Amino acid sequence: MDLNIIVGGPQGGGIETAGLLAIRACANQGLEVFAAREYHSNIKGKHSYSHIRTSDKEIGSIRYPVDALGVLDAESLATHFKELKKGGLLVHDTALASKSLLKIPSMEKEKVHRLRKDLEENKVGESVAQLDDWLSKKGIRVLSLPFSKLLVEADVATPLIDKTMNTAVIGALLHSMGIKQNALEGAVSHLFSNKKEVLEANLRAIQRVCALTRPLDGYIEGKADRANRYLVAGNDAVAIGKLLGGLRFQTYYPITPAADESFVLEQATEIYCPNGKLLGPPLVIQAEDEIAAVTMAIGGALTGARTATSTSGPGFSLMIEALGWAGNCEVPLVITMYQRGGPSTGLPTRNSQSDLMFAIHGGHGEFARIVLASGDHSEAAYDAIKCMNYAEEFQVPVIHLLDKGIANCLTTIKEIPMVTINQGTRYTRPESEYKRFKFTSSGISPRAFLGEALMWYTGDEHDEWGHISEDSINRIQMYRKRIEKSRLILSRVPEEDKAVLFGSENYDDLIITWGICKGAVVDALDSINEGDRKVAVLQVRMMEPFPSEIVRKFTGRASRLISVEGNYMGMLAELVEGKCKVDIPNRILKFTGRLISEDEVVHAYKRLKDEPRIILDGGE
Amino acid sequence: MEANELAMEFSSDVWPDWCPGCGNFGIFTALKQALKEAGVEKEKFILVSGIGCSGKIAHFVNVSGVHTLHGRAIPFATGIKASNPSLHVMVHGGDGDLLGIGMGHFVALGRRNAEILVVVHNNGVYGLTKGQASPTLALGTKTKSQAFPNINQAVNPILLGMAAGYTFLARGYAYNIEHLKRLFVEGLSHKGSGILEIIQPCVTWNNIVTMDWVAKNTYYLKDWDPLLNDLGQANEKKKRIMDLENGEKKALGIFLKDLTKKTHAEMVASINKAYLEHPPAEQGLLTNGEIPKLDINRVLQKYSL
Repeated sequence: MDLNIIVGGPQGGGIETAGLLAIRACANQGLEVFAAREYHSNIKGKHSYSHIRTSDKEIGSIRYPVDALGVLDAESLATHFKELKKGGLLVHDTALASKSLLKIPSMEKEKVHRLRKDLEENKVGESVAQLDDWLSKKGIRVLSLPFSKLLVEADVATPLIDKTMNTAVIGALLHSMGIKQNALEGAVSHLFSNKKEVLEANLRAIQRVCALTRPLDGYIEGKADRANRYLVAGNDAVAIGKLLGGLRFQTYYPITPAADESFVLEQATEIYCPNGKLLGPPLVIQAEDEIAAVTMAIGGALTGARTATSTSGPGFSLMIEALGWAGNCEVPLVITMYQRGGPSTGLPTRNSQSDLMFAIHGGHGEFARIVLASGDHSEAAYDAIKCMNYAEEFQVPVIHLLDKGIANCLTTIKEIPMVTINQGTRYTRPESEYKRFKFTSSGISPRAFLGEALMWYTGDEHDEWGHISEDSINRIQMYRKRIEKSRLILSRVPEEDKAVLFGSENYDDLIITWGICKGAVVDALDSINEGDRKVAVLQVRMMEPFPSEIVRKFTGRASRLISVEGNYMGMLAELVEGKCKVDIPNRILKFTGRLISEDEVVHAYKRLKDEPRIILDGGE
Repeated sequence: MEANELAMEFSSDVWPDWCPGCGNFGIFTALKQALKEAGVEKEKFILVSGIGCSGKIAHFVNVSGVHTLHGRAIPFATGIKASNPSLHVMVHGGDGDLLGIGMGHFVALGRRNAEILVVVHNNGVYGLTKGQASPTLALGTKTKSQAFPNINQAVNPILLGMAAGYTFLARGYAYNIEHLKRLFVEGLSHKGSGILEIIQPCVTWNNIVTMDWVAKNTYYLKDWDPLLNDLGQANEKKKRIMDLENGEKKALGIFLKDLTKKTHAEMVASINKAYLEHPPAEQGLLTNGEIPKLDINRVLQKYSL
């Protein structure tokens, strides 16, 4: 059992809620879930949708074609009808029937142009009703219901009818696909638990549409254990990890797709001390810009607080000068960096993995840093704690590299990560004077916090006390102390935080991937292995310092290397080539801002023998 | 002289490498005397500075020093103070640093009213890069290092600070150490964001703002009450400060000591009740080598199935 559903509508029209409702209802029924959210950089009116996948096996990606499409407006139908599989279900309000598909003001002209061509080629008229007819002939099951009327009949108050339309459409769709009424009611109850009137209207909407529809292929049933499971977006997962790991200070400047994480942190009012006393949320400061965000975070880290700042590419660009300061001053700063489409403002609300090189190299001068890239939501929570640990253990800035895909996709995490706290080498008050940058055999100086001892920090080269020094010999010693920590990091970080192999250890082809792409590649692995070559997947997690030895161990066993990434260059491939002295001619790449889907990986893999470099364009 | 010797305990062992005769020496001396008089605990006092001649002061004073980035001393200081409200935090920066590249932060601190005193070393030029015009250099002025007279208007740090919401505003003169020390002591005890602008002759690059110029163009505030503890008087007080600043000569002294506004820490505590009892820098919530024991179960509830 593996269902893919798209529900689309105008931004601000309840699509976000419809997606949440769907994924929670499926999870309520014991199914595994994964949902992607696509939206424009816009608050009201432009096209947005959720792609919900539910299955009886664990999944980490979306798949096309889809089994069902629910639309709240004509643009959603125009955008997604081609993604429906034969036998699939289309649900919309009968009121849409007379709408023209080619006269939608919010639609981008490129899309209108392609649609006109499609309709002409297939000899379909431009109204929704005409498209419905054509789709029916093609084997699509069209369910056109008068939802407004049904909601009136269900005694939904007039002002709430528009706001309940999303629930009615997704409810009818899910019930038809085999999700039970009680699972839908459970989801609605969870979502609207704080708004009695809205809850009742939504429950009545569910009851009404369930009475009118029937499961087309019977009810589906899942067996996933619901205990200790949490339904989260990646932003939530990171926040949960940070809260668990003792983050007490976060700074941010509003930016998509990072800001939601900070909202979760500041609203986490009910955190309690180990002794049961109320601790409250971490201090979250909305700074005046990203330069202030990162420098405030550095200030916090100097006082001993577990501190992070959270941003995306444009904000990270502004943080770079301060990142160098943190490197020079050996500050345990954590920057949570969610990639989105660049350069410049680029595709502000879309996925990208094009900041890998930037995260590794950003900044002038040379200094040690850690870049850790999570590949799913569980890792995102776990890594959030690990990043704070590593920052303090090695006294280096740590960049937790994520992407819009992980930030906004929804899925369940099975358990809350348990990670032992490592705060690194602490200063204990000795008789002699304190030297913040004392030379030691490991390169790590015992760390005192501001307020505990006299100390100095400067962005200039400095001596052991932290005072400015331009002395040549001190320069060599201090430079090496800072930068050679990279070796220590490589020797101490466990292998599972560096790179992880999926599939059999015996393989011909090795697919190298990272971040959100991991889910699609791992999900595709069974299908890919149906061919005559054995295939495994290597997910690289630690990007800097680069674990060349471990990656080389895996690449060395393969006769063919392939990378799958969300960028044009194949940045991870370039990195592995350079660090491991191997050749990765095969690259499957996507930079449309949309997620790589499981089916895209399967098809692209088959095409590789004719075409080593494949640019993917699936999804809208 | 006696006060100066006593203040030696606030000198670090780093040689102050400012030009001989630099106004910074006066600021340095007045600051050390003020720290002595205020009886500050060296380890708990954090001097945060920017980049330029003024920025180096963080290394010369024997308190903890954080010598940061150009224009960014204020947000560094804000992070330090917010994470550990028990620390005393003072910012030093030049006029180019705080009012040019760092202007956004200068305004933001006034809006926050965090307990940080910002000391503006105002010499009208970018000294460490050889005397370019700074944001406080008057229109039409041509110092010896400029090719042409300044074509930009000057900003007034006191009026800008007042507009931004700073609750302590004062102006001193680098070579009147006794007066400047008193301004420092007053500023140090103020509960809120403060500005202490110091007219600081740059003997190397600014041949306009000299000791003579200061003697002719400044005066000391007399019969002026800076205290504001009634919000109803705020507009009147601010109008009168505007009038003072629109005069021909620059006033020296304390313009405003506004006690009507809550500090940043108080504002945070009004939302987050446990903030002052459990500030971010509190130690002991985590134990090295153990699984964290913070209880976040109530937070997790909204995600549970």
